[in-house]
Amino acid sequence: MSSFLLVLTYGAYLFIIVMYTAKAIKYVRLPRHLRWELYPVMHEARYRYGGSYFEDMDWRERPRRKGWRRGALFLLTEYLTLGSYFRRHLSYWLPLYLWHVGFMLIIAFHVCTFFTALAMRLGLPVGAGSPSFAGAVLYYAVLLMGVVSFASGLLGSIGVCLKRLSNADLGPYATPQNYLTYLFCLTMFGSGLYAWHFVDPTFAEYRRFWLGLITGRPVMVAPAAALHIVLFDLFLIYLPFTRSMHYITRIFAFFLIRWDDEPNLRGSRLEAQLLAQFGQRVTWAGPHIESGGTWADQVKR
Amino acid sequence: MKKPGEQRIGIQDLARPCDRLVSLDPADLMPLPPPYDEPRPLAELSAEQRERIEASLDGVVAVAIPKPASLEEEQAFIRRFLSGLEKLFTRENNWTFLQPLLHTLDYCVKCQICNDSCPAYVASGKKEIYRPTYRPEVLRRIINRYIKKEGGLRSRLTGSTIELNFTLLARLCELAYRCTLCRRCAQVCPLGIDNALVSREIRKLFSQEMGIAAKEIHEQGTVQQLRVGSTTGITPKALANIIAFMEDDIEEKTGRRISIPVDKEGADALLVHNAGEFLAWPENPEAFAILFDAMGLNWTLSSELAGYDAVNYGIWYDDVQAARVAVRHAEAARRLKVKKIYVGECGHSHKALLVIADRILTGDLNIPRESFLPVLESMVLSGKIRLDPSRNNFPVTLHDPCNMVRLMGIVEPQRRILRAVCPDFREMEPHGVDNYCCGGGSGFAIMQSMNFPDWRNTISGRMKLKQVLETFADMPGPETKKYVCAPCSNCKGLLRDLIDYHGAWEKSGIFYGGLVELVVNAMADLKKPYIEWEWH
Repeated sequence: MSSFLLVLTYGAYLFIIVMYTAKAIKYVRLPRHLRWELYPVMHEARYRYGGSYFEDMDWRERPRRKGWRRGALFLLTEYLTLGSYFRRHLSYWLPLYLWHVGFMLIIAFHVCTFFTALAMRLGLPVGAGSPSFAGAVLYYAVLLMGVVSFASGLLGSIGVCLKRLSNADLGPYATPQNYLTYLFCLTMFGSGLYAWHFVDPTFAEYRRFWLGLITGRPVMVAPAAALHIVLFDLFLIYLPFTRSMHYITRIFAFFLIRWDDEPNLRGSRLEAQLLAQFGQRVTWAGPHIESGGTWADQVKR
Repeated sequence: MKKPGEQRIGIQDLARPCDRLVSLDPADLMPLPPPYDEPRPLAELSAEQRERIEASLDGVVAVAIPKPASLEEEQAFIRRFLSGLEKLFTRENNWTFLQPLLHTLDYCVKCQICNDSCPAYVASGKKEIYRPTYRPEVLRRIINRYIKKEGGLRSRLTGSTIELNFTLLARLCELAYRCTLCRRCAQVCPLGIDNALVSREIRKLFSQEMGIAAKEIHEQGTVQQLRVGSTTGITPKALANIIAFMEDDIEEKTGRRISIPVDKEGADALLVHNAGEFLAWPENPEAFAILFDAMGLNWTLSSELAGYDAVNYGIWYDDVQAARVAVRHAEAARRLKVKKIYVGECGHSHKALLVIADRILTGDLNIPRESFLPVLESMVLSGKIRLDPSRNNFPVTLHDPCNMVRLMGIVEPQRRILRAVCPDFREMEPHGVDNYCCGGGSGFAIMQSMNFPDWRNTISGRMKLKQVLETFADMPGPETKKYVCAPCSNCKGLLRDLIDYHGAWEKSGIFYGGLVELVVNAMADLKKPYIEWEWH
């Protein structure tokens, strides 16, 4: 059982990393599209009211500064607050926020547990009464993140599910897979909460398991903790088959589509990219289209 | 919104054969203030029309797809659609929008927070089929079933058990013409989802694969523009007559004889107008000529094919047609050896030439292109023209064309101009990048098919009418004339029809017009007002 847990956990992490990376690479390698930005564009100097360089005469001759920090801060704020939902659908925001806090903290919980195990491997005592300040901080960080994540995720799963079921706008668009996801989350977060409350109140089992993971030595853990580990691993394997990657793709969508206002200047790299795309063959069959010709051929008609 | 006893429309229902999927009862619509609150039903199609063409979505026809005569025809229709659908997801055929389209289809979580941002959905009384997420969800389920070939448990999990038939596809095509592509829904989405784009891509699939599009934007639109020179049918010869008329008209109105430059080689700027202005609102290009002349600009118009009509309807439905028109525009400028192109008061032409064409025009076709707005702003604020704002001593509000504002970020120049020349300039709420579409976006303003104008004036333009009425709520009667400034031909066209349909000129004294007319109207040395307040 202990070996199985070890292999499953390695496999689950590897699977989600490979799948997410592959999806991300596929996404960013999609062809450069026509401009389709929406204002405000966050890197614009006049972003506060949604202004752009098109407000200037001879804008091509003026220097344009394009940074990513303001956009990143905007997205980070949205990640941490789900502010769009707060402003537009408050009753949905509450369970959604709890649910997402559950996800964010469970990631933080695992990252912290990894570093805790690493610290333990290096001989740092970790615990409430640890003589090392860092050991105490890691102990409380794991405890806090784990408990809040499980509780918040559990409440959020129930809340989002009930909201989907009861709301006339949300319900008809929910698919059986949505409910399967809610149920899966509920079980996963619930099992974590159960294991913490009844079996592992200090997450000692979890820390030992992670120590085993980083040293490659299988460790036996209590059945309730093992159940949660299995469910979480399966959850990681399940995630790439859902829309969960919106957490990452939204960054691409904002930077590569919504805020992509890069002008095509003569002799630029963008122009070369476009010229290569104009050479692709079109197979659309509409009567006004020269099927089989390139994009460049189409405009000669 | 579902009425008591009314069955809710589901995703699968789009395939359910019936006489009419959704009834547009005037009593359901978003209320308007008195005296605009009298329910007025939409015109019904004749029995012959309903028999011949697919009109079972909402009883309204924009595209007019003939019903198939046999099962074989229906099957062929479905096969062509599926063939087009596959192409929509290939790099070669759809490099133009593949990334944004895939993002929307793959990552929308259907949280529905975009719904209330859609003026057509809200104005319709929240009819399910107009919900911004409805069309994409139908398309998503077709893709899952027929392109990704999901079956068994997977299809049941994703709800992709939809059955394709002619009714579903014809309704889907019509439904793509119930969205103005204003992209207000996209703007509020925290995940970057763009449901309006899906409407455009559905239109594109039908056009580029099946040759099906609203005739006003395809046959009478881009096809005619590429053949004759203008979607209005104006030929280069007819243009010469119009220019002569404009010069006479300017002399009559201002007492000045201006020679409007045409095909002047090496001019600093080629000014391109929506050719609809020449026919419907010649006072607009005339005002440009007066101002450019007064400023001593070295400019010209073009009489080249497509060079005198800035419109590009392709951006609403067909990438190939959009590219062809954009190249024609650039070729006209290249032949004249002008330094740059100024786009006049036309929102979608702004977006077509400055934004969309930016990744179509390369090399020597990539001639600098700019909006007229910064130029006009510099004229007004430079002090070189003597302006007397008291000549515009009437209430003025500004309609923000979506293409210029939300989709291009040109927000403040027009406001600075209005503040300078209109003492009673008042903003609509919301405005700027949060504005509401006039209701005529994406070709609706020019589409006159059957009872579609009724739908446009009743539903897609309803929010704008409400907004205008609220802006002038402190002076509701006709005794005070009010001016809705719309620096866009299509928006003006929609406002003209909207005001006329609802009788807002007679009931409330609401008039509409462009921005340059207000500037010329404020010119201190003109002997009589330039704006004539004649309803047309």
